[in-house]
Amino acid sequence: MMLDTSNQKKFVAKVDDLKVYFNSKRGTVHAVDGISFDVYKGETLGLVGETGCGKSVTGRSFLQLLPIPPGVLVGGSIIYNQQNNSSQRFETGSKPGFPNSRNFEFKKVDLLTLTGEEIRKIRGDSIAMIFQDPGKSLNPTLTIGAQLSEVFLQHRTEEILEMAGLGSEASGAIRRFASQRNRIFDKWLVNLSGNRSTKSRVEKAVADLVAKALSDTQVPNPVKLMDRYPHELSGGMKQRVMIAQALACNPDILIADEPTTALDVTVEARILDLIQELQQRRQTSVVYISHDLSLVRRICDRVAVMYAGRIVEIGTNNEIFKNPRHPYTIGLMKALPSADTARGELLAIPGNVPELINPPQMCRFFSRCAFATDKCKNQDPELEKVTNSHSVACFADVAEISGK
Amino acid sequence: MWFMQTWIEELLLENKMNERAFDNSHYNGDTAFRVRIRRFGALVGRLCANPTTVIGLIIIGLMMAMAIFAPWITEANVPDPYQMPRDWGAVRKPPGTPGFLLGTTNEGGDVFYGVVWGSRTSLQLSLYVVGSTMIIGTIIGSLAGLLGGWVDEFLMRLVDVFLSIPELIFALAIAAVLGPSFTNIIIALSMVIWVKYARIMRAQVLQVKQNEYVEAAKVIGDTKLNIYLKDILPNAVTPVTVQATLDMGNVVLIGATLSFIGLSEAGIAEWGVLVSEGQAGIASGRWWASTFPGMMIFLWALAFNLVGDGLRDALDPRTEGR
Amino acid sequence: MNSKKDNVGQPILSISEVTKHYPIREGALQRVVGHVRAVDGVSFDIFPGKTVGLVGESGCGKSTLGKVVSGLTDPTSGSVSYNFNNQLVSISNLEKNKFKNFRRNCQMVFQDSFASLNPRHLVCDIVGRPLKVYKEVSGYDLVEKVVSLLNQVGLGREHLYRYPHQFSGGQRQRISIARALALNPEIIILDEPTSALDVSVQAQILNLLNEIQKARNLAYLFVTHDLSVVRHMADSLVVMYLGKIAEAGETQAIFAKPYHPYTKALMDAKPSFDEGQNSKAKGLEGVVPDPARPPQGCRFHTRCSLATDKCGWEVDDVVRWLEDTPGMFESLTAVERKSEFSAVLSFSDESSAANLTQEMRSEKLPTSMRKALNQVKINEKNVQIEFEPVEEILLREKDGRHTACIIEPKN
Ligand SMILES: Nc1ncnc2c1ncn2[C@@H]1O[C@H](COP(=O)(O)OP(=O)(O)OP(=O)(O)O)[C@@H](O)[C@H]1O
Ligand SMILES: Nc1ncnc2c1ncn2[C@@H]1O[C@H](COP(=O)(O)OP(=O)(O)O)[C@@H](O)[C@H]1O
Ligand code: SF4
Ligand code: SF4
Ligand SMILES: [Mg+2]
Ligand SMILES: [Mg+2]
Repeated sequence: MMLDTSNQKKFVAKVDDLKVYFNSKRGTVHAVDGISFDVYKGETLGLVGETGCGKSVTGRSFLQLLPIPPGVLVGGSIIYNQQNNSSQRFETGSKPGFPNSRNFEFKKVDLLTLTGEEIRKIRGDSIAMIFQDPGKSLNPTLTIGAQLSEVFLQHRTEEILEMAGLGSEASGAIRRFASQRNRIFDKWLVNLSGNRSTKSRVEKAVADLVAKALSDTQVPNPVKLMDRYPHELSGGMKQRVMIAQALACNPDILIADEPTTALDVTVEARILDLIQELQQRRQTSVVYISHDLSLVRRICDRVAVMYAGRIVEIGTNNEIFKNPRHPYTIGLMKALPSADTARGELLAIPGNVPELINPPQMCRFFSRCAFATDKCKNQDPELEKVTNSHSVACFADVAEISGK
Repeated sequence: MWFMQTWIEELLLENKMNERAFDNSHYNGDTAFRVRIRRFGALVGRLCANPTTVIGLIIIGLMMAMAIFAPWITEANVPDPYQMPRDWGAVRKPPGTPGFLLGTTNEGGDVFYGVVWGSRTSLQLSLYVVGSTMIIGTIIGSLAGLLGGWVDEFLMRLVDVFLSIPELIFALAIAAVLGPSFTNIIIALSMVIWVKYARIMRAQVLQVKQNEYVEAAKVIGDTKLNIYLKDILPNAVTPVTVQATLDMGNVVLIGATLSFIGLSEAGIAEWGVLVSEGQAGIASGRWWASTFPGMMIFLWALAFNLVGDGLRDALDPRTEGR
Repeated sequence: MNSKKDNVGQPILSISEVTKHYPIREGALQRVVGHVRAVDGVSFDIFPGKTVGLVGESGCGKSTLGKVVSGLTDPTSGSVSYNFNNQLVSISNLEKNKFKNFRRNCQMVFQDSFASLNPRHLVCDIVGRPLKVYKEVSGYDLVEKVVSLLNQVGLGREHLYRYPHQFSGGQRQRISIARALALNPEIIILDEPTSALDVSVQAQILNLLNEIQKARNLAYLFVTHDLSVVRHMADSLVVMYLGKIAEAGETQAIFAKPYHPYTKALMDAKPSFDEGQNSKAKGLEGVVPDPARPPQGCRFHTRCSLATDKCGWEVDDVVRWLEDTPGMFESLTAVERKSEFSAVLSFSDESSAANLTQEMRSEKLPTSMRKALNQVKINEKNVQIEFEPVEEILLREKDGRHTACIIEPKN
């Protein structure tokens, strides 16, 4: 089941046998039921599958953003391999030899076992997430500038202090200030340490950083944008602000949960370009969750196909789309309308995703599979290697299927 | 009502359908009637799953029984059963006195009789006030929400005027103008409370009207009245129902306050009046004349509030059908 | 527009010069301060048994047009005509009986299958309702008719007495389709019927729609923003931008060679699956302008990469350009418009005014916009600008296709 890690690529995150269930009145929903995969440095990993197959739950697990209860973390781990090389961390906008903003020192951590305080430091800092609905993730009562400033004050304190010419003694105060948990002395400390103009210097430093982050996302006139409220912006604009916020701290991993589903294709193309460009510049790993195959085909290096809480096939982009081995992957691709399918002759996968309540020990695709045999009814297939990078969970003769 | 009619139609249809054999093997014998009964049963089940709601229901049940069986519990006073009987030979008797289970008032009124027959008065008060205001409020709120424009503008300004004055003070003023009588309390309360329903209903109608299924009904070509009755009203009425349940209790509370101040006829078998008349005796140790009716008011209001809260949860669409 | 060919015969529905303006109200008195021009002069025909695809970005008026065509709202001007016995009659001001006839024959399927089914009604109520409204059948026969409709959309008797929330998205969409089929209509307006569905379920629904169309010779108006779906489904295509038709014609021809830059931009934004890894997608700059103040000339000129000096450059474009240029917009104090094409811009200081004049004559201003400038005159703190006035760019026919672009398509 486990993927081979002996190859030379360096993984940033390693999901191992992750299981997340939800308790409901009708039984236990096995939303994610034992999935394992690696995220390599600088790659884009696509996570595709139908509605309700567990893509979002997987993505949210990285940052402990699941509702628990009713959710239950049944098992598994997500090992995060921290790129603890501080001089590289802030390659943009920071001076060499700048101290790392992180104050916990470890290389590998299990994201699922971190305490609330620890995961908060990781969120938005080394692992960031963008969601489908950009409107809901922004605070409607704060200007764009104010929201982004908060994030920067929180996560890039040292850099700001240096830009403002301050010592590090104010860092804790600034951070608490940003998260609005400030204590009585903090205001005083921010205001008075150094000299009287400290506050305005800090504000200027933050504003500069925010403007730079926004202009990175190619919004026109970022300085003006900072004074606007979220409801004044279009969907594409809001999503860019979210991206600026997510990439603000040069995260190692960006989890994008259908960030363009609510947007027009013309805007989508630009958002994708943006993510790709920023990613290449900063070597961020992206986990891209989507149900849009043509999009995943276009932008991802590797693809994991999920079905009913499991990964049924994982491999490089070309392996999955040129040489699919799982009946489900093949079905998804054939269902796409293309230029030469005759009208009314799309090859739909019959039926629906089965209910994930206490699934029996058998292949979960059984009821919809054209290649099912008796073996599939009695046994649960595990991910097996086809090539070094390509694995499939299916009993059927792969050659026979891909021949069809 | 139209849904009663459909239910009866479906019940008749069920018998007819059962006589025929079906070709479809998946068919599990459900009929519309059975599914609706089951849905209603599920609602009752959800309601009863909450212990505080059950307590409320039990209290209401007992009170209702008391109101219905009042003539059998204590013999009705002649000629007017809603007047307290006066026994000038037994004034200020403490509870437990033979024949006067809960004691007597200053004028020799039997407190037990007042408690029992007071439940009838209270039930009348609640039903009249809540019933009439719910209907008026629903109609006016629906009109405002459906018609919009100047009708809406006019009706809602009217509602605003009513709402700008505190409920109790407004009712007090109206009752004072109309003169002290129990009927006038009912009228005063009705005049005050309908605005609440109109407001809720308007907001609901505006929201429900936006739903695509209303548009879909228009595309089919259904009449406006049918669309209102089938699509808008049933989906909008839930908060009104909950509010009505809560008000069944609250109305008695306000009514009692008005009675207490003396806006009701003296000597009527009404809890608020009894509390008012009995309170003078508390200082000299005759606590019973006001305490027992006071407890009844409290229990009544509490019970309906418990059930109202339970109903709100049970009708919550997030818990429905899960 | 008369895109009909002789062999196709009479259209079943003809939309001509339809506009729909929604008033924008403001203030305590709800005074009308302007109009959102959601649909602005659209004409096309729908033929029996054929599918017309309607595409465009969100907010460009597709759904509004769908509602006007289905008779849910009246157009502000223009007309929708329905074919009564080979005679096209406008559906507004129809007598009651005739409108009822039209109503029966023109049904609609909505995008959000959850919102378009009443949560308190059983499937048999939902699908049987149109039959009850027109008193087609009742009692036992009604149930049987509903079962046969459900069978047609791939559901069965076991689904009769269930509530909508007990179904998956695809199944709910099937129920919507069954309801639309109940009255045996001639046209169905499908407003993004598969946008909320997965590809596998989308394929099921598209197949179903095709099957029904063939069996009943139905006409579809298929609203969508997914080009691959519309390419698969539609015989002819209408591309809308900001309430107007940008391009219309045969689907295959348009996909083979889009004439209008907007159509091309839509296609370039979403390469089809077959084009493979790292295929190039090209988004569009900027956002759809406010439909309450649509641009002059060609409405697409604010985002068009091929725009010429004749495309309708106007004062608003200068203001927009200023907004996106850091520093300058802050010192702008007033814009006094004489017409859409001429205005006086006032600045808080003379240097800004001079600066603007200089920049407007430099490379910083898009070349085509600069060419359209008739004059830029500086007068202390004020700058007077004047563009060459341009008429609206209308649809022109070429090879049986209609394109609203000033550039003559090359063969
Ligand atoms: N809060 C919750 N309570 C109960 N079940 C849940 C909850 N969140 C998710 N689930 C269940 O977990 C499964 C996976 O959900 P998930 O949201 O990850 O799907 P998805 O692949 O992202 O689908 P979509 O394309 O709709 O976003 C589903 O069966 C869903 O019903
Ligand atoms: N009821 C309405 N009142 C005011 N404006 C509306 C209304 N309905 C739609 N609009 C406006 O009309 C334009 C077109 O909307 P719509 O037809 O819904 O677009 P689409 O379907 O292409 O997404 C939008 O600018 C929208 O805001
Ligand atoms: S294991 Fe069997 S049922 Fe499952 S996908 Fe493979 S062939 Fe189909
Ligand atoms: S007329 Fe043609 S070239 Fe000019 S802006 Fe419009 S689409 Fe572009
Ligand atoms: Mg999701
Ligand atoms: Mg729409």
